[in-house]
Amino acid sequence: MRRVTRHIKGGCRNKAKIPPGSSNKDSSAELDESLLLTENLTTNLFRIKQFLIDCSDIVYREFLFAQREDIRLVMIYTDGLADKSQLSDQIMRALSLELPLSAPQADITRSGAYHLIKERGVCVHQIKETNRLDEIIEAILSGDTVLLVEGNSTAIINGARGWESRSISEPDTEVIVRGPREAFVENLSTNTAMLRRKLKSHLLKIEALRLGRISKTDVVIIYIKGVANEKLVTEVKRRLRKIDLDGILGSGYIEELIEDNPWSPFPQINHTERPDRMAARLLEGRVGIMVDGTPFALTVPNVFIEYLQAPEDYYERFYFATGVRIIRFAALVLSLTAPSLYVAIITFHQEMLPTPLLLSIAAQRESVPYPAIFEVLFMELSFEILREAGIRLPRQIGQAVSIVGALIIGEAAVRAGLVASATVIVVAITGISSFVFFYSASIAIRMLRFPIMMASAALGLFGLISSIIVLVLHLCSLRSFGIPYLSPVAPISVGDMKDVVLRVPWWAMYNRPRLIGWKNPRRLGPEQKPDFPEVKNRGGAGDA
Amino acid sequence: MLEDGRISSRQATFLMSTMIIATVVLFVPSITAKYARQDAWLSIIAAILAGLLIARLATTLGLRYPDKSIFEYPEDILGKWPGKLVGLLYVCWFLHLNAEVIREYGSFMVTAFMPETPIIVFILVVVSIAAYATINGLEVFSRANEIFLPLIVGSVIILFILALGQMNFHMLLPMFDAEPEDVLKGAIAPEGWFGEVAVITVLIPYLNKPREAHRVGALAVLTCGGLLLLDAVGIIALFGPNLVEAWLITTLNGARMIIVASFIERLEAVIMIIWVTGGLIKITVFYWAAALGSAQLLKLKDYRPLVVPIGTVLVSLSTLLHPNISDLLQFLTSVWPPYAIIVFEAGLPLLLLTVSLARGIRGARV
Repeated sequence: MRRVTRHIKGGCRNKAKIPPGSSNKDSSAELDESLLLTENLTTNLFRIKQFLIDCSDIVYREFLFAQREDIRLVMIYTDGLADKSQLSDQIMRALSLELPLSAPQADITRSGAYHLIKERGVCVHQIKETNRLDEIIEAILSGDTVLLVEGNSTAIINGARGWESRSISEPDTEVIVRGPREAFVENLSTNTAMLRRKLKSHLLKIEALRLGRISKTDVVIIYIKGVANEKLVTEVKRRLRKIDLDGILGSGYIEELIEDNPWSPFPQINHTERPDRMAARLLEGRVGIMVDGTPFALTVPNVFIEYLQAPEDYYERFYFATGVRIIRFAALVLSLTAPSLYVAIITFHQEMLPTPLLLSIAAQRESVPYPAIFEVLFMELSFEILREAGIRLPRQIGQAVSIVGALIIGEAAVRAGLVASATVIVVAITGISSFVFFYSASIAIRMLRFPIMMASAALGLFGLISSIIVLVLHLCSLRSFGIPYLSPVAPISVGDMKDVVLRVPWWAMYNRPRLIGWKNPRRLGPEQKPDFPEVKNRGGAGDA
Repeated sequence: MLEDGRISSRQATFLMSTMIIATVVLFVPSITAKYARQDAWLSIIAAILAGLLIARLATTLGLRYPDKSIFEYPEDILGKWPGKLVGLLYVCWFLHLNAEVIREYGSFMVTAFMPETPIIVFILVVVSIAAYATINGLEVFSRANEIFLPLIVGSVIILFILALGQMNFHMLLPMFDAEPEDVLKGAIAPEGWFGEVAVITVLIPYLNKPREAHRVGALAVLTCGGLLLLDAVGIIALFGPNLVEAWLITTLNGARMIIVASFIERLEAVIMIIWVTGGLIKITVFYWAAALGSAQLLKLKDYRPLVVPIGTVLVSLSTLLHPNISDLLQFLTSVWPPYAIIVFEAGLPLLLLTVSLARGIRGARV
């Protein structure tokens, strides 16, 4: 806050250059006269125009109140951000044509005009009054419409926003088969509304904040009061307020500015574009952060296990969910270690393979002139390149290119004697495995694969195990907003094991995660296990 | 406090279990079988009982000063300079012990898996990782160990089950054949390992519930004892006492014997995983204890600046201690257990406890 105050003072000194900063009420005492409106409309208009000089998207519309030459009104808004039909119907038409018909002509005086406009004239849902220039500028640039009245030092801010935005669609990154199909969009108020529709409780709190010196991005902190730990909420607010950056263009900016261990390759703040997932995390006692302009909402604290949980686990039967979780764990291990294990075994521990397999691999590698590590690195790098190309290319070409590319590189490389076909299989398994779990975590795993491969090429299985140990130590040293990153596995929390490898049925999901939701641990009422003896004894409801 | 981490009783139990299991299952069966033959399991049970006593002694002593470590309270008990001397002895012991473990670690890797790689490579790698873990602090490696220990215990049990097919339990007959004297001699080596539970005297101030220290020590000894028993019985049933005493690292040979359904075979890689992870935790615990102890003796504010110097001491000490693995094993069999037990695991704690009781002084209560 201190910085903002200083900024406003700076704005006073060189007001022609820097537009005034924020709507910080605490510092209003320090404001000098030049930031307040005067009673003279022309002066006010001139000063606003001075701030917004060379901003060709600002529209100034002057018109008369109730056809009276002596009461001029000016409406200022940003082209494209304000809802023009609302402006012309509810403000201009109402004030200049309709109000004089309903109100007695005698009431319309220069001094009473302002009151009349505010109480009876303007037909907009949200209005706000201000006499401060900086608030006016900010309102205009946020999409609100400002109405200045001749002879009044107070302006009316009309919340008639309306701009082009993407409509709600299915999530692109977190696709599921069964469950809700809507995803967040770029518009913050649409997103909070989606969340509010999922959790219709007065306990769901949405606190607003504005970040970014130039971008002035709206950010909200979301939590469920009584479930989320207050200290956590305070800490989130403290870290967000500390942010002093010119622009916040995505939630990733915030993520890197508030995480606990800035040097770690692992993301310590989770993000999602699914409102259902966000709601589920809030219900566990986490705190959400949503940023205007991006469909990705952040949640803290984040633990590693979350990357292996998919929303679908909770919508499908628990047996299936548990099975899929085991597959995901296997995929995690494979994507991290498969190429390294291959390199280690081929280079140092050939005796570990059954003899027939060893012979067949040896036969394949007979024509390959390079050591195993070179083969694997070559293939892994080309795979990464293909994957990157697949993402950046236009969608229609992308898939075709990556499939064809992979086929050609795999097949041709084997034929040309560059790599053994076993290598292609290993690289393919690794690649596919890394798609199984959550994208952000898989980026870290993809990167870490390479140093582990190097270690295995140098020291065999010992190098592989050693690097995994270092990785585990690193993961254990991480915390996300105070919560150990590997919890509930390390430190072990037996009660929370219900949602790690296993996913117990909902009627057994008694408690919230211990470290996160300890404030209000019970999430399930008593006797929720389905048990309907009267139906059973009669041999089913159908017989009755 | 130098170390601001706190660990739970479970984490402490896990930590000490890993610390003991990792090395005990590899070397001890053959040492014990040398004396007690097929009755090695009797020796191990005797060693467990003695280990429980040592654990009790260490925790009783430690709980008289629940907010201090063994490097600090000797000063209260014996006076400033004698106390500092005892603290210094313990630091040296942890360094020596650790150097031996590191040497075992390297020798094992060279002998069993990579004979062409120089031992210094393994020593350097493991000391660097242990240094990283030590810098991260007690909490971090305790947490990591919560992942490693289940893996280690699970692997030992799975190996035992897979090897069941090749076991011949007649090898354990005749029972109670060994002389009581030999049984006790055989118990000395495992006892030397179980006695390492004395490191709890360093951990007690960092437990979040120090009162549970007795249980922590006992549980650690029992867990390791149980696994060692399983291992020793399995190995003797596989090879018979004659072969067991002839080999250096019998457990490894045991894993090599496993062939199930003609495709699960050559499982010594599993032994390597047990050894590399468990050994690393063990080295880290002693590394941390030595660093913490030095810092407490010197009244430093932080032990982290000492991590690198201690690491260089450990690397050089471990390479200089023994010319070859036979010398190392000879030392571990005949010199180490009496030296460790008599002086550091039982002797000094007993002395400290006696003086403390006699002078009737104790530290803050919790």
